[in-house]
Amino acid sequence: MQSYRLQGAGPEISTFCILQKLSRTMPILYMLILGVPAFTIQPEERTVTAGNCQFLGKHFKTDLMVEGEPVVLRCPQAWYRWLDSASSHVNVTWRKNDSTRMVPEEEETRMWVQDNALWILPALQGDSGTYICTVRNASYCYEMSTELRVFEKTEAALTYISYPQILTLSTSGLLVCPELSEFTRNKTDVEVQWYKDSVLLDQDNEKFLSVAGPPRLLVQNVSMEDAGYYSCVMTLTHNGTRVNITRNIELRVQKRREETVPVIVSPRQTILASLGSRLIIPCKVFLGAGTQWTTDLWWMANNTNIDIAYRGGRVTEGQRQEYSENNENYIEVPLIFDPVIREDLNTDFKCVTYNTRSFQTLHTTVKEAATFPWGTVLAPLLLVFLVLGGIWMRNRCKHRSGKAYGLTALKIERQVFQSYPSKIKEIK
Amino acid sequence: MALETACHPSGKRPCKMQAFRIWDVNQKTFYMRNNQLVAGYLQESNTKLQEKIDVVPIEPDALFLGLHGRKLCLACVKSGDEIRFQLEAVNITDLSKNKEENKRFTFIRSNSGPTTSFESAACPGWFLCTAPEADRPVSLTNKPKESFMVTKFYLQEDQ
Repeated sequence: MQSYRLQGAGPEISTFCILQKLSRTMPILYMLILGVPAFTIQPEERTVTAGNCQFLGKHFKTDLMVEGEPVVLRCPQAWYRWLDSASSHVNVTWRKNDSTRMVPEEEETRMWVQDNALWILPALQGDSGTYICTVRNASYCYEMSTELRVFEKTEAALTYISYPQILTLSTSGLLVCPELSEFTRNKTDVEVQWYKDSVLLDQDNEKFLSVAGPPRLLVQNVSMEDAGYYSCVMTLTHNGTRVNITRNIELRVQKRREETVPVIVSPRQTILASLGSRLIIPCKVFLGAGTQWTTDLWWMANNTNIDIAYRGGRVTEGQRQEYSENNENYIEVPLIFDPVIREDLNTDFKCVTYNTRSFQTLHTTVKEAATFPWGTVLAPLLLVFLVLGGIWMRNRCKHRSGKAYGLTALKIERQVFQSYPSKIKEIK
Repeated sequence: MALETACHPSGKRPCKMQAFRIWDVNQKTFYMRNNQLVAGYLQESNTKLQEKIDVVPIEPDALFLGLHGRKLCLACVKSGDEIRFQLEAVNITDLSKNKEENKRFTFIRSNSGPTTSFESAACPGWFLCTAPEADRPVSLTNKPKESFMVTKFYLQEDQ
């Protein structure tokens, strides 16, 4: 177990040691001056410190109160021992850190010790400070300090003294009037008045319902407008005078990030891939406004987890990604093939997503993409080429046959010409 | 805030640890007193004392719970007939779901409206609870419906 250190124990101890020494010497000096033997005027229970009392440090909580109201300071360690039912009969005395005198002082009517707790009524701002309680029984003695701060009753003080309480938007929930136990002990029915921004909440108000027992306020169908400062006021009669005990609560309204049903939006049911190539199939899950945090997303191959099915790591799951697009939340986990082999064509790949709202799966298979269709692409090209080639050949042939005709014709013409003289000759 | 850690389902799955504010339906928050986790009311000036919890989901409804920044985990321990709630000095990110000895740190969550209850996986039927009075220790109860102990909690993701 982790050891617990009382906060500020170090400096408190050193300060206290000085105080302790002072407090031991002060009465003696005082008595020497007065010339009165110490033991005759200092009753046992009025001795500021007697014997070896262990100082346990400063209490971690500070009590913050408003002036004019009752304050009850409990000696922390003795109180917790009592709470933990390990209590034995103890005697608790109090003093203020800046004074060697006990509280309450004899003439003091605002302070008294009741059930080992120090009551201050009404509290004044001047009562602020550190109070030290001494707990003593036959076998032990220890001391602890606790801090009290009394504020003027103003709006500004609310920031420090209020108890933050949180309710969820669009639900109903309870505000609790806290830390009244000192005033409600042995009372079965405690009535408090509830206020919001200093306006009394009507009992007929359907929105707010005061609940008895430990005083609570049921806030129905919480809206953002319900946030703000509330106060609960209990009335106590002390010596015939009615005094108020106020607790301030700051209601904060939280929007709930709910889980939504996850919807797998990709991949498609068939993925085309070439054998021997690298392939990445992302599984993308839509969650809308739902939280991504508790939604699981993973891949399986023939109902086996990927890392088990492919121990060699040829097929792996990539890094999970969480992101938002247009205020809608998504999760994505890719399945990576490096490379795709023929065996993958006969494997059932399954993307699985799971949260408390739903369990969804999507099956996908890898199909071999046909090899590049050379025939389809080249046939028209070949045809064009043939046609063009044909035309060119035709043109070429045409040109060649034209030249041959001329020569033949010349030959014929020459033959004709040559024959004429002979004919002429014959005519001659 | 978010830390990667090993979890569901194959033992290799990365998932996140998330810190949460926790308070019960009676608005009591958690804080430490003498090594003990207690629930009570804290004024604004004292809210720095409030303990947040770290949650690691090992399945969507099964979680490890720890105290944020303290390396202390919430556990249910059986000794004889006694069921005991305790804080153990374990780093939540070191816990693995596959180890039987870590079952005592596992809690099954169930939601009811905006609230969540945590049942111990190692102590079935025992739920994380607070006393109706302030400043009492956080503990476990096996009578969540009958008893006056508070077993419903609000959680808020700590940003």
